[in-house]
Amino acid sequence: MNKEIGTEDLLRTKDMSLNKPQLPRKKKPVWASPWGYAEGWLFVAGLLITGLALQLVSGGLSAQTLSWPVNLYVGLVFTGLIVLSWTFFRKNSLVNWLARVPAAVTSIAMITFLVLIMGFTLQEDAGNPVWVQKLGLSNMTSSWPFLFGMMFFMASLGMATMKRLTPMKGRNIGFFLNHAGLYIAIMAGLLGAADLQRVTMDLHEGEVVWGSVDRQGHYMDMPFAVELERFNMEEFNPKIAVITTNDGRIVPESISDMFEIEKGHHGNLIGWKVEILEYHKMSGRIDGRFEPVVDYGAPPSALVRVTDSHGQQLEGWITSGSFMYPHQLLQIDREHSVAMTIPQASHYSSDVVIYTPAGDLIETRIEVNHPASVNGWRLYQYSYDDRFGKWSSTSVIEAIRDPWLPVVYLGIFMLIFGSVYLMTLGKAPEKEEEPASGQNSSERIGDEKEATLNDSPADNPKRVNEPEPELAGV
Amino acid sequence: MMPIDPTLFTIAAIVLWALGMLFFLIAGERKVIKFLAHGSYLAGILVLVVFTWMLWDMLGRPPMRTLGETRLWYAMFLPVVGYATYIRWDYKWILHYSGAMAILFLVINLIYPDNYDRDLMPALQSIWFVPHVIVYIFAYALLAAATIVAIKGLIIHYTGRMWSWNMQLADNLVYLGLGFLTLGLLFGALWGKEAWGHYWMWDPKETWAFLTWIGYLAYIHYRYHKPKQITTAMWVLAGAFIILLIAWFGVNYLPSAANSVHTYS
Repeated sequence: MNKEIGTEDLLRTKDMSLNKPQLPRKKKPVWASPWGYAEGWLFVAGLLITGLALQLVSGGLSAQTLSWPVNLYVGLVFTGLIVLSWTFFRKNSLVNWLARVPAAVTSIAMITFLVLIMGFTLQEDAGNPVWVQKLGLSNMTSSWPFLFGMMFFMASLGMATMKRLTPMKGRNIGFFLNHAGLYIAIMAGLLGAADLQRVTMDLHEGEVVWGSVDRQGHYMDMPFAVELERFNMEEFNPKIAVITTNDGRIVPESISDMFEIEKGHHGNLIGWKVEILEYHKMSGRIDGRFEPVVDYGAPPSALVRVTDSHGQQLEGWITSGSFMYPHQLLQIDREHSVAMTIPQASHYSSDVVIYTPAGDLIETRIEVNHPASVNGWRLYQYSYDDRFGKWSSTSVIEAIRDPWLPVVYLGIFMLIFGSVYLMTLGKAPEKEEEPASGQNSSERIGDEKEATLNDSPADNPKRVNEPEPELAGV
Repeated sequence: MMPIDPTLFTIAAIVLWALGMLFFLIAGERKVIKFLAHGSYLAGILVLVVFTWMLWDMLGRPPMRTLGETRLWYAMFLPVVGYATYIRWDYKWILHYSGAMAILFLVINLIYPDNYDRDLMPALQSIWFVPHVIVYIFAYALLAAATIVAIKGLIIHYTGRMWSWNMQLADNLVYLGLGFLTLGLLFGALWGKEAWGHYWMWDPKETWAFLTWIGYLAYIHYRYHKPKQITTAMWVLAGAFIILLIAWFGVNYLPSAANSVHTYS
């Protein structure tokens, strides 16, 4: 490591060293302009205390209080206040401070603190102590402190965006995409939560269903009807495993050796050589053996040959069973058996007909990852009757309406372009200091000052001339 | 029932990287050894690329489902980031750190062998699956490299030596890393809308991914504002990486994640 510390470093310590004795700075009294970090932390403390007090007194917030059109007004007023206060009062301590980094960093810290609590706390009341529930920590996203944190964060984000927008400059496009994109996405996401509707529809083959149920169990008529024609499911082949015969658990050591059942497959399961001689996807039991059949509830089966370490062989049929038929193991010693696992679903989907009040009739397939759209609603394959697996004749569809989605997507796509811009911000750093190779060093010295001052995500040359007040003292 | 032997490929990659790092250490100005160093280091990456490609082909699904499979991608990307950093900016030491970290992750995979099977739950069968995971793991690799810069700086700082530390490399890696992290997050949001019906649900994995993202956001803003307060910045970077690790695999062990949809095995 010593190698890295050459003479060049000692010269550069003038600029870069941490150990550099700091010039004695005059300590700015708190709340004297311009505000900085101290004011930020006090602000955060104030918001937290007020938020927690409100939470204790009035309980949590309900997203529904903000439903249309209240959320639109709230969004317009909040954004309008930011625009107006930046336009007319940008010299005001609070307004000016909100547009700068100390407010950004302290508001980020506040959000981080709250979300960190959320990350360690199960987000539902059951299972949490009463004080956690009372303080809203188990329902963080609908608690007062979170609301205040978000408002602080959004005010800072909005104000910083305004600051960069005036005057408008082409080179600020990346900054704008990132900051305005985030503002739009979060604002639309927060306000839109009140208008988000999520309901489920239980479909049974051949029945036309108009009604749905929300998460609280309230019934609701839908502006369309859905009829399930058919529920489809395909499955992966089951696997073969060694289990303990008594309790049916897979022997942990064999988990990494489990393999897919297919005619001709073979493998080693903790010392036993296992071969698959025959495999039927659907089969029926006839005279102690299994034959392929196509029948309701017919389970998969396989004929396996097991050879132990002494060369002794054993052959037999195994099946995972189904809701109609029992499973069957092949016992290989006093404690162990080989068993077929229950096949996992590879695809499932619902063939449906959707009827709209306008008289349209839409035949479509709703599949996981491939929702259908109708009248502002999106229909998702949600669930099925897992007792019956692929023979299920019911399918649960989730219908979701999120009118704010286009706005959120606008923000998201701005952020996508903004993050590509972010990747281009890197600059050539000074040469790695290795005494042996001193190439390019002369070229770098001139860059140094600029590199430090320009070290900004915004790459704003204005900074060089007008450093922020905090920087001016450094 | 595994037609290709993961152990063989894993060990080959480890040996090639170890050799490459050794050659880089002893090469000095000797051309032949330098050539061997580059060759060996790159061959290690190539072995892993070939293995991943064969695995993908054999499984018939992207090998990105299990934690072990994400470690494989990580072990592949880290040396790529390290090597690119070395070629682009001539930081030789980063080669060794990223090589060592990649080897560590491969060793973990050797100790806990994966059961590579073809099952892929329907929700993961999406065009977003591959970009989401690749972009994320690549971001993780870049941010690991940035963390290495910070930790090296912190160690030098607290051992009290006269020193200088240039954070520009860390900044560059964070800009790239946060860019990819943001893309990963947003791809995940777009995918979430298609698969689970909503773009953001505060699932524990999402909560921790958000924390990771906002941690690096704090770093960038702080660096912008106080470019000379390096120690604090380095601590932020180290802290953000701890959050990243929790988001990656720590979440599985948190009681708050009991109901997560991001179940990794």
